[in-house]
Amino acid sequence: MSKRREFMRGAAIGALAFTIGGVEVLLTPRAARAQSVTLRLLKPDEVETLEALGETLVPGARAAGIAHFIDQQISVPAEEALLEARILNVRPPFANFYRAALGAVERSSQAHSGRRFAQLAGAEQRDFVNLMRQNKIEGWQGPAGAFVYFVLRSDAVDVVYGTLEGYAALGIPYMPHIAPLKRW
Amino acid sequence: MATHEKVDVAIVGAGASGSVFAAVLAKAGKKVVVLETGPDWQLSDLISSDFWGRRIKTAGAPFLLEGKNPFGYSYQSGWGVGGAALHYFANLPRLLPNDFKIRSEHNRALDWPISYQDVAPYYDKVARDIGVSGNAKAEEIWRPAGEPYPMPPMKTFRHGEVWLKGFEALGIRMVPAAVGMNSTDYKGRPACIYDGWCHIGCPTGALSNPLVTYLAEARRAGAEVRPRSSVTRVLTNRQGTRVRGLEYYDAKKERQVQEANVVVLAAWSAQNPRLLLNSATDRHPRGLANASGLVGKYMMCHYSSGTWALFDEDVQNHLGTTGAQFMSYDRYGKTAHPGVFGSSFIVAGSALKTSDLGGFANARLDLFGAELSAFMKRAARGLTRIGAFGEELPNLDNRIELAADKDEFGMPLGRIHHSFDQDAVGLWNANFEEGLRVAKATGAREAWSARGNMPTIHLMGGTIMGTDAGNSVVNSYGQSHELPNLYLAGPGIFPTAGASNPTYTIFALSLRGAEQLAAKWRAVDL
Repeated sequence: MSKRREFMRGAAIGALAFTIGGVEVLLTPRAARAQSVTLRLLKPDEVETLEALGETLVPGARAAGIAHFIDQQISVPAEEALLEARILNVRPPFANFYRAALGAVERSSQAHSGRRFAQLAGAEQRDFVNLMRQNKIEGWQGPAGAFVYFVLRSDAVDVVYGTLEGYAALGIPYMPHIAPLKRW
Repeated sequence: MATHEKVDVAIVGAGASGSVFAAVLAKAGKKVVVLETGPDWQLSDLISSDFWGRRIKTAGAPFLLEGKNPFGYSYQSGWGVGGAALHYFANLPRLLPNDFKIRSEHNRALDWPISYQDVAPYYDKVARDIGVSGNAKAEEIWRPAGEPYPMPPMKTFRHGEVWLKGFEALGIRMVPAAVGMNSTDYKGRPACIYDGWCHIGCPTGALSNPLVTYLAEARRAGAEVRPRSSVTRVLTNRQGTRVRGLEYYDAKKERQVQEANVVVLAAWSAQNPRLLLNSATDRHPRGLANASGLVGKYMMCHYSSGTWALFDEDVQNHLGTTGAQFMSYDRYGKTAHPGVFGSSFIVAGSALKTSDLGGFANARLDLFGAELSAFMKRAARGLTRIGAFGEELPNLDNRIELAADKDEFGMPLGRIHHSFDQDAVGLWNANFEEGLRVAKATGAREAWSARGNMPTIHLMGGTIMGTDAGNSVVNSYGQSHELPNLYLAGPGIFPTAGASNPTYTIFALSLRGAEQLAAKWRAVDL
């Protein structure tokens, strides 16, 4: 029962469990990023790629904590995951998909420009994503580019527009039955 | 391993169909156990958030997906008590008489062994049981008269109303949608407050999910719901003439056996065949109830042709319900669209959220970056959509079979093969074209089709009903032709799919089957 209570407490305040100094604390991904919470599974270069890709897909995704969100989510059992990948028939463990997707982006970027995706100029990043979403990147190796685009775009939309903050920014009343009380 | 005390009825799955069987049989005085693989959700778990709503979508052993149009099941299936009906949109259109006789009338597909008139009284009973809002009289332009719905239609909102001009221009009659939601207080459950969070589970009780309808009744009547119980096999007697219970793994992943006089498989269209195939014995080498070789065959689904429109006015698309405001059967005739075959069912006026699969960020999947940000602002005011569901005909090649990979309990995973035929693709396109004509006739500033991969919605078939063991798996009550104390429930027993959302028919057929079982208990429970 204690695990269930903890889970519900997290849900109720709209936060996820992050680890700071060996202690689990409940934070929103935005707050976790702002506090530089250590990531659990993603490596620094994966984080860099993910944040750059997320920001290209949906402006604001970096600050909204897309990397902390995905890192936390791929570290919990698939049954507890809140990722859109869960409803897109991605086979758990979800970490496998994200590693493969980010690896494919990085390899393609290096192969075509000799630079990491995060080091590309904004216009180059947009061109890359535009080709990726149409499965038009030559030599692409990994999950289909269009699917990578769809899943990562969904994650970025989630953290930017799926939150109480996101609704407020668009001027949409959130109107919850049971509120995620903070910002989730 | 533990063997539990024998019960009258063991039901696999606490979703729409299992809940009905549990309620009817528990109220008939039977000792009922419901084994549910997922958690025991409470209404208080249903947080209004697309993130948190994903917890009640599928988990557990995945299905492997193959074919030209792999069946995307995970958005629609359930996880835990209530099953998929815990997060269904509660659109409750019924099948029409023409759905039951396609073979006879068109020499296509299959006939049902029953007619609309056999099911109609159960539609009316379900409406009284769970509460349906709508205008039955208005629907009678397309179907035989029945009882009025117990509640008047739901409120309508601008994002639904703006479409009416377009439909009228094309001669398509729209009537209030029949929905399993409360337009008024009903049976101690409150009226809906129209805030559009139906699709992640309604915690107020205004939407007729099983937790507040049949499953609640079942529990009150003494049925035991055993969550975290993953069934792996249906067990038979030595002669192979009757089932004797279920093998399952409990929350501690320990093997258990639940003996029962009657077993009801209500685990979902894909999971029921998986269980039957995995329960093969010397007496049933191809799997249980599979003398016909049809277990896992004739899997079908719906597909939707969505049309988006952007209006200059604020259509308040956040208000209302995820279910439809208006519906039409005007394209339900099997040859309504020239050159293609199958019914279409039209809906308009679903509340929109920002994210998730149905969210309006996905209305323009081609947009990203600053263009997406700008679109989101416009969409928040003026975006709305309609949809036309299309019928897929039964096809033997669309099937589920066991794979070599196994789940954590050693049970082979299921593999679903699915491809649409030319009729389905043609009907999908025809509905897109008509949707655009409707949208343009509304005077919307912009309109476009929601084209992408052809969607797969509402998995049906796999254990179809028919007249005998040569052409089907079960009879019209869901009773196995071969094993008289084995019942199958849910959309898996549909021999054709129609184009209506299936849950109303699931409830109605389950009620019919459960009442027959209760009434003929002595004959079944030998």
